Amino acid sequence: MTERTLRVAIAALASIGLGIAGYLVYARYADVALVCSTGGCETVQHSRYAKLVGIPVAVVGVVGYALILCAAVARGEAARAAGVALSTVAALFAAYLLVVQVAVIHAICQWCVASDAVIALVTALAVLRALSYRRAENAR
Amino acid sequence: VPRTQAAPPVQAPKRRTESRGSTRLSRRAIYAIAVGAAVALAATLVAVSQLVGSSAERTASSRLTGVRATAGLLAGIPQEGTTLGRAHAPVTLVEYADIQCPYCGQFAREVLPTLVRRYVRKGDVRLEFQGLARVGPDSYTALRSVTAAGEQNRLWNMLDLLYRNQGPENSGWVTPQLLQDASLAAGAEPSRVARDATSSAIANRIDAVERQASAAGIDSTPTFAIGRTGGRLHYLPFSSYDPREFGRPIEQLLAR
Repeated sequence: MTERTLRVAIAALASIGLGIAGYLVYARYADVALVCSTGGCETVQHSRYAKLVGIPVAVVGVVGYALILCAAVARGEAARAAGVALSTVAALFAAYLLVVQVAVIHAICQWCVASDAVIALVTALAVLRALSYRRAENAR
Repeated sequence: VPRTQAAPPVQAPKRRTESRGSTRLSRRAIYAIAVGAAVALAATLVAVSQLVGSSAERTASSRLTGVRATAGLLAGIPQEGTTLGRAHAPVTLVEYADIQCPYCGQFAREVLPTLVRRYVRKGDVRLEFQGLARVGPDSYTALRSVTAAGEQNRLWNMLDLLYRNQGPENSGWVTPQLLQDASLAAGAEPSRVARDATSSAIANRIDAVERQASAAGIDSTPTFAIGRTGGRLHYLPFSSYDPREFGRPIEQLLAR
């Protein structure tokens, strides 16, 4: 995959993630029930793990995805490194939250799982972006 | 002339190699720093998530009895509003109860754990709680909060905790502190429970249950109705709080 293809793919996935996190923020502040087929979305969203020092995790997600989107749009080594760093933070924290859902809250939020899948893909593509650019550089 | 021409090709590749090597190293350093910072930041986020709020939870749990027992009993069992257990479980057992009633507490402590372990956890029975507030003002205060916890699918956790911490009837044991601690230990958001508990929607729901129970002639608590899920429910007579008394009709219905 070319650098450009990877950037477009990461930007598209980050936009999807932004949409998911944005929906969760909207539902929280508008106080509307989440569309949920797993039955555990409200339980997860109102557990104590849904906030970080008073800030809803969904808001942190919106900020995180926005930063990943910016890193995907930007060119250069700094943008590639920022993309890897941001997606790694997000993937690790998402993995922790998934464990919390399964082992502590005992409820699954489908939106969180969808976001987990998105961030896993973003991380893989961000690493590929960094590696593919290096290969191209070395081949020159 | 040959000497001056020969000099550059010898030195030039050397310089190129050095330059490429140093760039590669600096890139490696950049990515090492980026990933290191990412891991450190993720660890900080996890630590903050674990620590913030856990002290409040610990304090709440220390003021209550049976927090671990309740969490262990109900962990992993689906809840939705007033129901506990798989939605399509073959048997439904409805309990009409008052949170202040001592016999309801006895049932919760002596019978419910066995039923949950034997039937609800396996997906054979779904339990439904129909709350009544007949003993006195504490009943209504507690019932409003427990019904509000149902909005977060944590009704059964909060109900079980209140039964384990039940005080003498109308002694004022249902304090705001107890309700806050119980909702927190139940895994619900206390501020939302407190807000929903005073809503007209919750009050209307409680009134509807009371009207339905009165119409059905239910004059004591606890009262149970049992049947195949989706079918007609029948009044379940019992003479003691022995889990076997409740297990037998469940087994009969499951065998059908």
